[in-house]
Amino acid sequence: MTEQKEDQASLLVALQDLDLMIKEAEDTDTSSELKGMGFKLDGLAELRLARDNLAKRVTPQLLNRYERVSKNYDRALVPVTGNLCLGCFAKIPTSFKSLSGKAKILTCESCGRILYFP
Amino acid sequence: MTPQELAGYFKEPLCIFGLKADNKRDALSEMVDCICAEFDLKDKEIILEMLLNRESLGSTALGKGVAFPHGRTLAIQDLSLLFAKSEKGIDFDAVDKKPTHLFFLIIAPPQDTDNLYLQVLGQMVDLIKSDASRKRFLEASSFEDLQAILGQEGE
Repeated sequence: MTEQKEDQASLLVALQDLDLMIKEAEDTDTSSELKGMGFKLDGLAELRLARDNLAKRVTPQLLNRYERVSKNYDRALVPVTGNLCLGCFAKIPTSFKSLSGKAKILTCESCGRILYFP
Repeated sequence: MTPQELAGYFKEPLCIFGLKADNKRDALSEMVDCICAEFDLKDKEIILEMLLNRESLGSTALGKGVAFPHGRTLAIQDLSLLFAKSEKGIDFDAVDKKPTHLFFLIIAPPQDTDNLYLQVLGQMVDLIKSDASRKRFLEASSFEDLQAILGQEGE
């Protein structure tokens, strides 16, 4: 439940943000709603390319972990608020917060989601 | 969502009445700086990158001098709305190719499962459709002016 370089956590957050954006642009209901407001969503190919380029910057081991967890949950990364994993609401050990500051990638011991400390 | 509920999302520290930036990236950066300062957020670059990616999907400048940069990011905890105004206008790749003067930046966390941000965005887009409303926002120079405009719209 540890390891990684300092910017890997940020890359993973950016990757998930991008995955969510692509998913929403592909979702019929959401895209219809946005188009109804007047927004154009014709740059999906560019977004996918940006996603591929960003994924290459994540270490293969971490990317594999992210994609594996993504298969089980809508979002592989979840924030920790008030010592709770906002994916499953399990209590997170207080020591995790300081470990995250040391650029560790931590996982919820209860649900297996990757934890993000805002 | 009522105009009164929408008004509740406007916060004084998240209003910029004189954007200094003169291009799209710098404008978004200036707005994100304001949000990060207000909420003490550490991941400015992630938020900025998300907004720039959203712009590559399609410009959020809908024309008539108004843009609605928006998106979701894990780097923010609560739905946030920022208002910004540029006197000189910024090239934001608007559909009508005209400079953008008014910005309503809306950022939500991914866990906003009720799609509140789409409701806020939709309400904001509706509100700004009328020429009179846009004129009032363009003339606003204080948070009190904004509150008065939103109050008027709710009447």
